[in-house]
Amino acid sequence: MTGFSVFIAEKLFGDQPILQNLEISLAEGEIACLLGPSGCGKTTLLSILAGLDPDYRGTFTHPDGPIAMAFQTPRLLPWRTLAQNIALVPGSGGESYARDLLARVGLDQAADQFPQKVSVGMQRRAALARVLAIRPVLILMDEPLVSLDADTARDMRELLLSTLIEARVATLIATHDRREALHLADRIVELGGQPARVIRNTASPLDRVQRRDAAQVEEAMAQMFGTPTIE
Amino acid sequence: MADPRSRLLWTVISLVGFGLLWAGIAEMLQSRVLPGPGEVWEAFLYEQANGGYWQHMGATLARVTAAFLLSMLIGTAIGIALGRSDRADRFFGGWLTLFLNLPALVTMILCYVWFGLTEVAAIAAVAINKIPNVAATLREGTRALDRDLGEMAQVYRLSPVERLRHVILPQLAPFFAVAARNGLALVWKIVLVVELLGRSSGVGFQLHTYFQLFDVAAILAYAFGFILIVQIIELGVLGPWERHVTRWRR
Repeated sequence: MTGFSVFIAEKLFGDQPILQNLEISLAEGEIACLLGPSGCGKTTLLSILAGLDPDYRGTFTHPDGPIAMAFQTPRLLPWRTLAQNIALVPGSGGESYARDLLARVGLDQAADQFPQKVSVGMQRRAALARVLAIRPVLILMDEPLVSLDADTARDMRELLLSTLIEARVATLIATHDRREALHLADRIVELGGQPARVIRNTASPLDRVQRRDAAQVEEAMAQMFGTPTIE
Repeated sequence: MADPRSRLLWTVISLVGFGLLWAGIAEMLQSRVLPGPGEVWEAFLYEQANGGYWQHMGATLARVTAAFLLSMLIGTAIGIALGRSDRADRFFGGWLTLFLNLPALVTMILCYVWFGLTEVAAIAAVAINKIPNVAATLREGTRALDRDLGEMAQVYRLSPVERLRHVILPQLAPFFAVAARNGLALVWKIVLVVELLGRSSGVGFQLHTYFQLFDVAAILAYAFGFILIVQIIELGVLGPWERHVTRWRR
């Protein structure tokens, strides 16, 4: 049984509640986007799920296997090459498998480079390869396309979608960008209010083929969020 | 100037200049207490043939190595512990300040009084002088550890050993290098005093002997040998090691 569910009764920052009565479940292999404005508690929720923040009230049954997280910044070890970074992850099966994974994200030429000597986009892709390396049962991603230029972001989005579909692992992607959510998600979970709770939890109107098409995404934008220009 | 060959050339020119200046002044003064380079060279040759120059150098080098390794090891462990735990730092921080300000000579005298004029006392005295410096430097390094990488290591389930080896120690390497560099300079100097006070071998012991004989040429012969060895270690060991651990930088 993969997929997962979490219920957060309350999460405080100091004595300020930032998450309250928040419940999310994902089916096996489902890609969900956690949508909400910056600073609403998305990263906090991901940290709780990743096991980095045990200080909350609620229930989260840790799935039976590793959870992978792609942080907002790539967080590669700068003193190890891309291949060495990935090979370090337990279960990654050493450097030759690391090279295979890097090839899958289009980095076969850069496997022996140090992270600071390649672009941020390439570092992101290496971080994606590392996510796959741990053979996760749940993937968490924090704003995977933020601070990339438009072209790089589009390429990365395509890569992300095809990789996640192929991996068939439940995935929760935090984003503030509605269009990005429609491009990626099977399910859209929107957070809002203060403290944040789930204000929308719906399946995407677009299937995995339709959502690659920009025109269909725009149509769904209008349908779900009203006028397409407002975000 | 960045060209290493022109830098080397300038170093040679500057050193030759120093030698000429020294020779000139010595020639002018014609004093027994300021021998020229030629006399120092002769003193070196004589010491090498009759005075056990290299044995004494070797004895000092062995003490330096032992005290250096001991203080780096213990100081690093203490520094990491203090950097990681606020409570430990609050409690032991005061001790660290105390030991940082304890005069080297006091440690030496106390070690010799308490443990006798032995090799162990000598090396312990040097190490105790150096440990607080290493600990303070590594404490700063540990406080500066990147939390982001720590979280990454936790999420990706790196074992404690892997975390230490691949996440923590590489971040501490620059601090370690500073501690090693300063440490070596300090240890070299303190070892000589320890030898002067309570050992019957080593460069410090020889300097003491020639001080009593007022033999400045022999004293300088040991001093130059010393400088040479320190530079060889600096350029041949520490330099390449530092370049190796920072090769990933942009």
